[in-house]
Amino acid sequence: MISIDPKEAASALSDINEIAHRVRQSTIYNFASLMLIMWGVLVLSGNIASYLWPREGGYIWMALNVVGLAGSFAIGIFESRRTSVHSFDLRMITAFLLFFAFGILWSIGLGHFTPRQLGVFWPTYFMMVYTVVGLWVGLAFVAIGLGITALTLIGYFFVGGWFDLWMAVVNGGGLVVGGLWMRRS
Amino acid sequence: MAELDDIIHQPLRLRIMAALNALPAAVGLEFSRLKKLTGATDGNLGAHIETLAKAGYVAVDKAFVGKKPQTTVTATAAGRGAFARHVATLQEIIAASAGQH
Repeated sequence: MISIDPKEAASALSDINEIAHRVRQSTIYNFASLMLIMWGVLVLSGNIASYLWPREGGYIWMALNVVGLAGSFAIGIFESRRTSVHSFDLRMITAFLLFFAFGILWSIGLGHFTPRQLGVFWPTYFMMVYTVVGLWVGLAFVAIGLGITALTLIGYFFVGGWFDLWMAVVNGGGLVVGGLWMRRS
Repeated sequence: MAELDDIIHQPLRLRIMAALNALPAAVGLEFSRLKKLTGATDGNLGAHIETLAKAGYVAVDKAFVGKKPQTTVTATAAGRGAFARHVATLQEIIAASAGQH
C-alpha cells in the first residue's frame, strides 16, 4: 500500500490541475490556429486583390467575409466532430454576429472612414477582441493580437502607397504565421 | 480511507491519466500531443502507456493517417473510475491533515 504525506498529495493534485489546464488550452489553440490560418489566407488574398483592383475593394471584402464565415462554421463543425468539444455553439455564432454588426455600425453606418482607415479599423478591431480573449485563454493570443496591431498602425502611419501590400504581409501573413506558431505551442 | 492506486500514482502515469481525463469520454489524444503535454520522451511515454493499457486503464489505437502511423490513447471507463478514486483519495489525505491541525 502506498503512503504519502499531505504535501505530496497536494503536489500531485496541483500536477493534475496543471495538465488539465494545458489540455484545455491546447484544444483551444488547435481550434483557433485553424481559424487564424484560414482567415490569414483570406486577408492576404483580400489585400492583394484590393491593391490590384482598388475600385472593387468593397465587393472583394464582402465576398471574402462571406467565405470566411462559411469557413469558420465548417471548421467549427469539423473540430466538434473530431474532438466532441462543441467549440462553435450558438453563443459563438451570436458573438460573431455581434462582432460584425458592431464593426459595420461604426465603420459604415456612423463613421465615414476612408478605404485606408477601413483597412486599419477591421484588423485592429479583430485583434483587440483577440487580445482581450487571450487574457483568459492564453498568452499566445495576446502576443499575436498586440503584434499585428502594432504592425498595422506602423503601416497606416508610415507606409505610403504600398499599404494594401503591407497589410497583406503583416495582417494576412501574420495570422498564418501566428496560427502555425500556435499549433506548435 | 481509500487506497491510492499504485499504477496511477507514478508521476508520469498520473500526468497521462490527468491529460486523458480532461477530455470528454471516448476522446483520445495522439501520442505526439500527449508527449508534448506531459513532457515525456518517446520511450518513457510508450512504456508507461503500456503499463496503463495492461491494467485496462487506457485503450491504444494505432491507425494510418495518410501514410503516417498515428497512435491514439484514450482513457477507458475503468481508467476514468480508477483516476476519480485516486483523486478523491488525494483530496481525503489533504482534508484529513487539515482536520488534525
